[in-house]
This record gives sequence, C-alpha cells and structure tokens, in this order.
Amino acid sequence: MIDIQTQISFFVLAVASVASAIGVIAFKNAVNSALSLILTLLFLALFYLQLGAMFIAIVQILIYAGAIMVLFLFVVTMLASEADDTELRDRIPWQRWVAGILGLTLVGALSYLLFTGTTIDSSAKATGANRLSHVVSTQGNIEAFGQALFHGFAFPFEVTSLLIIVAILGAMVLGRKA
Amino acid sequence: MQLSAYLIVSAILFTVGVLGVLIRRNPLIIFMSIELMLNAVNLSFVAISSFLDSADGQMFVFLVLTVAAAEVVVGLAIIVSIFRTRRNIDVDDMNLLRG
Repeated sequence: MIDIQTQISFFVLAVASVASAIGVIAFKNAVNSALSLILTLLFLALFYLQLGAMFIAIVQILIYAGAIMVLFLFVVTMLASEADDTELRDRIPWQRWVAGILGLTLVGALSYLLFTGTTIDSSAKATGANRLSHVVSTQGNIEAFGQALFHGFAFPFEVTSLLIIVAILGAMVLGRKA
Repeated sequence: MQLSAYLIVSAILFTVGVLGVLIRRNPLIIFMSIELMLNAVNLSFVAISSFLDSADGQMFVFLVLTVAAAEVVVGLAIIVSIFRTRRNIDVDDMNLLRG
C-alpha cells in the first residue's frame, strides 16, 4: 500500500527532524549545533520531496544546507575559542523554566488552533488549468515553478535583487577594517 | 498524509526554535534557532501549497530563502565585528548600541 509507506516515511521524518532540531539547541558545542541544523535542513528537504516540491527540495539542499551552513560553520570555527565558555555563567537562573513554560504554552496553543480552528475552505483549491498537478504533469516540475514565478511573482522576484545588493553592501561595510 | 500532520510538525519545529532563542546565550546558536523557525514556516508553506494544488506557497518559500540568506550574511558580519571590538560574544553583555 502506497498510503502506508507515505505514513511510515512521514513519521520517521517527523521524529528525525524534531530530534535533530532539539539537538541544535541542546548541544553545548556550537559546531555540533551547526551540524545538527544541517541534518534538520536535509530532513526538511526530504519532506519537500514527499510533498512533490522538487525544485524547493534541491534549492533547500544547495543553498540552505550548502551555502548558508558553510558560512555558519566558517564563523563558528572562527570564534570557536570564545564560543564555548560563554555558557558557563547563568545570570538569570529562572530563565530556563520560564522559557520551558512559554514553549509548552506556544505548542499547546498552536496545536489547539490546528485541531479546533477553522479549516481551509476546499473552494480555495486551484481549479482547471491552474492546478499545480496539471501543469506539472503536462510540462514538468521546473517549468511549473518558473511559470508561477515569472507570471504571478515577477515583481517580488525583482525586488529580491535589491535586497541582495543591500545585504552585500551591508556585509562589505561591516567587514571592512575600522 | 493529512495537512494538519505537517502543520503540527511545523509548529513543533517553530517552538524548538523559540526555545533556542529564549534559553541559549551564544548569539550563533540564537541565529541557528532563527533559521529553524524560518524553516518551520517554510514547511507549512510547502504543505499548504501541495494541499491547495497551487504553486503560490512554493514562491513564498523561495522568497523566504532569499531573505534568510541576506539575514545570515548581515547578521554574521555584525557578530564578527562585535567580536573584533569586544573579544566576547555573550548576548547578556551586549546591552549598548555602541562599541
């Protein structure tokens, strides 16, 4: 049964991604946290594959797990001597307990809303030739993505280039020797 | 799989990220927790996109990815320049808006 397989792979992926996410905040060493975050991002890419978003899955692996995390590991190893002993002093001892209570409240509130809140109206689903599955089956995955990007989201896509230029300039100004 | 199952995984991942920001005092790990929260939201975008059979959710993920990359570049540059001037990256010590 295909459905059983999907369910088993979903639960395995769910447990693995949550466990590696907890690893990100639980490891003492920042390098271990970064490696655990890479694992989480790879599991999320598998989630995207399961949901049929091929291009997003590949971009997730190339850009997130590749480029962004390499940048992170660069900085972590650069500051490694300092990054370890910052966790020794506990200035606000009740901070952890309050954070735990707030986290439980947040996950409880979100689950409550998911189970009892309004459901997504099925009339919101795309119909006819606009359906993603229709475009994917007639033209292909990347073609469907590109069509949606350059037809409906062309302006946000161009604004993105402005954002990247500002980020590059900001990094250059901050990284320059004062 | 049902849509709500993906949304619950997304909610749990988001909460783990919030806890990381609240508990840890190493700014690098706080940054990683922010990335975790962005990815949790991306998961729900992709799940809803697949549920609605529309490509719009994947477009949002693409834009979030770009914003996350820009944020990481600027944020890590700020952390490195703070470390250069103060030799110390504990967030509890950073309570002034000047070097």
